[in-house]
Amino acid sequence: MRWSASVAGLVVVALGIVTGCSATGGPPPTAPPGGAVLIANGLAFDRHQVDVPAGKPFPLLFENREIAPHNVAIFAEGSDDALFVGEIFSGSASRMYEVPPLASGTYRFRCDVHPEMSGTLIST
Amino acid sequence: MTTATRTRPAVSRPAAGLLRASIVLLTLATAAIHLTLGGVLFTMNAVGYATLAILMVAPGPIGHFRLFIRLALIGFTTATIGGWLLFGARFPLAYLDKAIEVALVAAVALEVWYLDGGPLGVARRTRSLLTKLLGAAR
Repeated sequence: MRWSASVAGLVVVALGIVTGCSATGGPPPTAPPGGAVLIANGLAFDRHQVDVPAGKPFPLLFENREIAPHNVAIFAEGSDDALFVGEIFSGSASRMYEVPPLASGTYRFRCDVHPEMSGTLIST
Repeated sequence: MTTATRTRPAVSRPAAGLLRASIVLLTLATAAIHLTLGGVLFTMNAVGYATLAILMVAPGPIGHFRLFIRLALIGFTTATIGGWLLFGARFPLAYLDKAIEVALVAAVALEVWYLDGGPLGVARRTRSLLTKLLGAAR
């Protein structure tokens, strides 16, 4: 009985930490000129598609709004070799990534810690 | 006639207690780190570690089967390290966690060596425990 109570308590604390340490709100930050903005919250990005200019470096403002560590990594379609890997960090915090030039086309972005967090980056 | 003797490294009772405490602390530390990572997989991993930490010190009949818990902890930790080597992201917290997990495997292996007498002792005790379990099931 005492042991089952301890285990149940542990599970409650675990779920509390997982759910309680995330999901802070607030308006999205403004995208930097010539760049884009992405927010991670609730183990998801705030959008599934990001549009960026082709052929020149661009700033990508990434805001992590939860304790879970996240980043943004960019891949060519069908490739596992990253074209850009942003720093992984815990929130609440933000980083301004400087992404090297990308040829026009469609790319994939994802979080390296949680690969299920992903989206499409369109460079035009 | 030769007498088979079970050789164990000379470890005092306080040292054995310290070793067990270290194992529990290391297990809880990696559980806490996995919990902060979020997501179903990491949370399940944290719950697995926390459960094993509890089982490492749980009193009563569970104590008779601690060998299996030690082996499960080594297997679980090794699988976690392997999963990270294959698929995991590389960042400072992950490296810290892997250092904790390597230390955990070493500590549990040391306890297995001390309490169960190395690989031969493990094989002997496993056979004896399984026989006991099967006997109880009949």
